[in-house]
Amino acid sequence: MIELWHLVSANTRKEFIELKRYFPNTISMILTFYFIFLAMLLGINVIGDPQQADTNIQYVIVNYVIWFFMLMTLQGLGFTILIEAQRGTLEQLFMSPKGMWRILLARITANFFLNGTIVIFLLILSMFTANQWLYFRVDLVLPIFFITAIGMVGIGFMLAGLAIIVKQIQSFLQILQFILMGLTFVPLSVAPYLIFAPFVKGVDMIRQVMIHGYTWGDFTMIDYSALVLNSIFYVAIGLYIYMKSENVAMEKGLLSQY
Amino acid sequence: METIIEVKELHKKYKKRKTKEIVKAVDGVSFEVYRGEILGLLGPNGAGKTTTIKSICGLLKPNGGSVHINGYDSDKQRLKALNYISAVLEGNRNLYWRLTARENLEYFAGNRGVGRKEVKQKVEDLLILFNLKEKENELVSSLSRGMQQKLAIAVALLADTEVILLDEPTLGLDVETSYEVRELLKRIVKEQGKTIIISTHDMPVVQELCERTVIINNGKVVADEKVENLIKLFESRAYCFTVSDELTQQQITAIKSHFPIYEISDQQIEITIERENDLYIMMDILKSEQTNIEKIDRTSVDFEQVFMKLIKEGQENDRALASS
Repeated sequence: MIELWHLVSANTRKEFIELKRYFPNTISMILTFYFIFLAMLLGINVIGDPQQADTNIQYVIVNYVIWFFMLMTLQGLGFTILIEAQRGTLEQLFMSPKGMWRILLARITANFFLNGTIVIFLLILSMFTANQWLYFRVDLVLPIFFITAIGMVGIGFMLAGLAIIVKQIQSFLQILQFILMGLTFVPLSVAPYLIFAPFVKGVDMIRQVMIHGYTWGDFTMIDYSALVLNSIFYVAIGLYIYMKSENVAMEKGLLSQY
Repeated sequence: METIIEVKELHKKYKKRKTKEIVKAVDGVSFEVYRGEILGLLGPNGAGKTTTIKSICGLLKPNGGSVHINGYDSDKQRLKALNYISAVLEGNRNLYWRLTARENLEYFAGNRGVGRKEVKQKVEDLLILFNLKEKENELVSSLSRGMQQKLAIAVALLADTEVILLDEPTLGLDVETSYEVRELLKRIVKEQGKTIIISTHDMPVVQELCERTVIINNGKVVADEKVENLIKLFESRAYCFTVSDELTQQQITAIKSHFPIYEISDQQIEITIERENDLYIMMDILKSEQTNIEKIDRTSVDFEQVFMKLIKEGQENDRALASS
């Protein structure tokens, strides 16, 4: 367990150092987020129906934040493989006795922590700037989001597996962000069958909490079961596909290729 | 001597992308690596060295045969086997260029599950040992090729594994840095008792550092012997004939057909004999055209010549097999 902690802490430190070293990129990300949040808080208030203003803002911001984390999780693992292959360090990572999948998990945990801190800070800062405060039930939103994220990580592993074999998946990852946007923004009440799709159930529950003020008791056991089973299913299948892809790459000697 | 790595009947085939032709990269390679030795793994380009190295590291799955590291199968028990081996792979991108020397050392230690505090003293020692202390806070991208290579070796050492695999450790280094790296490796083996496998084209490195060498050509082991034994063997078989006349075309053809390894320059003929009788055959060839023999000398050989002769011998044998 302590070894896993060292693994996560080493990767968090590395990601943090790289955020500092690639400073212009980090600054542009921070500014983009700040202005997008600000635009949402101020703009929607002006454009939308004043009666619905609060709901609209909550809806759009919640969706946007979830979409960002989804994108980061899903594309993050694939991009990690691509970047490491480009840099030539991928094989060196595969030499770790902890296993590449644990390193990827450590990287995504690090990114969640670092980007999560930045985004939350920026959201609070933009709420302060706009003097528009959103209502958050952190005790409810965080656990649901955490369970949903597990399923997202599963899909991330599938894409990482694809990246190990094919490498050139940038275009696919870009298309994927629009598919994700669709999945994030469509409420489950409009398309109930999407309950089987990855993370849609979790996103829907978070929306219910943030927009309609749901509490723990307002969700049924079916809701919780669907949330947990969905995540377990996708993380299990994601890891399985990733491991199989690793084997294929090692059989065909694809690790060092880009 | 205790075996730490056992490569047994290793086979690896690839399908060529365009022609779909099956290529045997490694064809039944077997050898052992003993605890505490420095082994040279040699072979010309495309001989199957890298495939063998990557199979040892568990980065490639073989089609047949096995690699065991300290008893663990590097394919089926890959992660357990990796506890005993670290590697500096070919090329200069074993490191993160946007991290400093120290940050790289700490990051790779963390990736093996070791914390910064635990390796603090070792990082210090390695930075001093590798003469990198002054550069510890500089980005790897700003270090020279030699410093990057030394840092990559330091990263491998920090893992504190029993076996260190170095793929072309002196490639692209200037004479001074190459010497420095060789001296460092000698020191590491002497002081830390590590087992080192070096894959290289740099023959002085092999002659100076390696106790034993495995030479691979066309996916097969053509020699597995102590370096000094190979040199002695070839010295005992290498002769130089100095003649007073130029050789005729018939004589050259006869030498070619009898001696797979030969060299003719001006009035000197260098041959490597297989049997004592070969000396008489050579004399007969010279006598046939009344060529005057001025002297016959034993030739001293260095390891580079031994290597070239072994490769040439292997190629001749393959050709003979193919034609029969």
